[in-house]
Amino acid sequence: MVKKDARKATNPLEHTARLLDLVPYINTHQGISLVELAEVFEVSADQMASDLTTLWMCGLPGYTPLELMDLDFESGYVTIRNAPTLARPRSITHEEGVALVLGLDVLRSTIATERADLIEAISSLSHRIADLINLPLALSATSNFSPQVTSLIADAIVQRGGLKISYHSLYKDEISSRVILPLEMIESQGYLYLHAYCYAVCDFRHFRVDRIQSAESAEVERPSSAPAQTPEKIDFELQVVRPTRDVAERFEQGDLQAGDIFKGSSFSQHWIARSVSAAGGAVELLSPAEIRSELANRAQSILNRYQG
Amino acid sequence: MSRKSERLINLTIALLATKRFITKSELFKTVEGYEGSDESKERMFERDKDDLRSLGIEIEVGSFDPLFNDEAGYRIKQEKYQLDLGEVTALEISLLSLAATAWQGASLDDAAQRALVKLHSLGIAVDDANLLDSVPAFSDAGFDLPMITRAIAEHQILEFTYRNFDLSEDERRIVPIGLSTRSGLWYFTGVDQSIEEIRTFRFDRVIGNFVIKRGPKGFETPENFDSKRIFETLSNTGAVIDVRRGKGASLRALASSTKPLGEWDQIQVPILDMKSLAALVLWHGDDVYVQSPPELREIIIESLKDLARAHG
Repeated sequence: MVKKDARKATNPLEHTARLLDLVPYINTHQGISLVELAEVFEVSADQMASDLTTLWMCGLPGYTPLELMDLDFESGYVTIRNAPTLARPRSITHEEGVALVLGLDVLRSTIATERADLIEAISSLSHRIADLINLPLALSATSNFSPQVTSLIADAIVQRGGLKISYHSLYKDEISSRVILPLEMIESQGYLYLHAYCYAVCDFRHFRVDRIQSAESAEVERPSSAPAQTPEKIDFELQVVRPTRDVAERFEQGDLQAGDIFKGSSFSQHWIARSVSAAGGAVELLSPAEIRSELANRAQSILNRYQG
Repeated sequence: MSRKSERLINLTIALLATKRFITKSELFKTVEGYEGSDESKERMFERDKDDLRSLGIEIEVGSFDPLFNDEAGYRIKQEKYQLDLGEVTALEISLLSLAATAWQGASLDDAAQRALVKLHSLGIAVDDANLLDSVPAFSDAGFDLPMITRAIAEHQILEFTYRNFDLSEDERRIVPIGLSTRSGLWYFTGVDQSIEEIRTFRFDRVIGNFVIKRGPKGFETPENFDSKRIFETLSNTGAVIDVRRGKGASLRALASSTKPLGEWDQIQVPILDMKSLAALVLWHGDDVYVQSPPELREIIIESLKDLARAHG
């Protein structure tokens, strides 16, 4: 883990909190080097020496050597005696508790279901901490994805490059490695999906982004048979029939009014057709004409099935 | 600066060490660092109390002697001051260390690290069992997360402007009861004060800032609320949808059950939001067919008519 720059103890409250937390830490790490201690508390070694000097002056009223903490750090190694009142760590704060409970929940979502022992341990911890901060059952986090994966996907979409991904399949519950050509990201019902051409099955697939465990760039040949890899982006033009949030988000438009016309482009004619379909009549595709007529035909044929 | 910290530490020690309540005048006499006129000592003490409270240290105020209603006394209870998670195992410390790594580079990173220092201070040997290489990281929430969680803990009211499904904007007043993140998006759930119903909102659909107001008296979190379930069935009605084999992966991902029917599979999907489920069905074109509920079929049929009419 990369350590942050040693923070300056400018704020007396932060300083007090650190001093209070130092005592129990040293208490259970007797003989720790001053340098290591400074690293744990993310301050410089000089600041740590100054902290210890301050602590050394503290104790019970009376402040005779009998009542003061007995701190020794001259040798560069730190020991503490006679600090029973502060010996146990302080309770966690609200923010700390929130961080731990959410962190535990994400952890749980990444652990395989057969590790019931771990899942149980996590649930128990998470309940105990949530109760401490008075937030029982209020926090949840699931299957987030790695920022490296998302940034690689974003680059691949822009540069139209391939990716080799390891993908956790929910149905088979196995991890497979596949080479894909990412096309678009789609958000639906709280999940992010990657629409991509998959070379393993030679077809288009949706991948749940949170189930992509790792990704690296890969050399790919553009698939030649499928319709979506026309080498150039397809320009399209849409007219707003009913402004909806779904349309605004899907087509990344800000302010929408009925009657507005806007343009966009995509590498995938599938994406254009599906996106317009998904809008369910809230937008009308003005061009390209081929997709437009295909949309009408397809809508009619599905409709026949519903009404048949 | 270090004089102030020193005084706060000494005050904390004195209040922790005492079993009975101790009075201000006793504190001024015995705790190092209270100097100057009576008035300035008083001011100093008031500020110190506030400071310790803002560090999460609870100071109890009580009567020095219950028989005589005289000067107020103060103390800090060890049980309240100390971390009390019951018995903590080495495995649990390892799990918490992993949990904290999820915050790397995100808003609660510092808080997570401070919590870890406290946990490591329990002096439990850490079991470096090879659990996982890494934990997926949190996306930065882009809002003041502890402000929201405090509002949940204290049943405050959140007022904000929200972008609706039809792009109109609404002023909302809710008592928040849950916060969740999924797939990099952050959500909060609350009891909408105008309709008295539970609603879930996406943070990136909030326009502008939150205003925090004092919550309604006697507010109680609805029974059985669990934020882990907000993405599961909110109602008991699920949709029954036929999906062509090998197709409709994003719909299948939502399925609670799957039944093979030859060329098709029949899946059950919980309905969180009828409109977004309809959009997902329409997205999949002729690879999916909705059997029920009738409301969903109705939306699909109307949308298809619109689509055919507009593009025909």
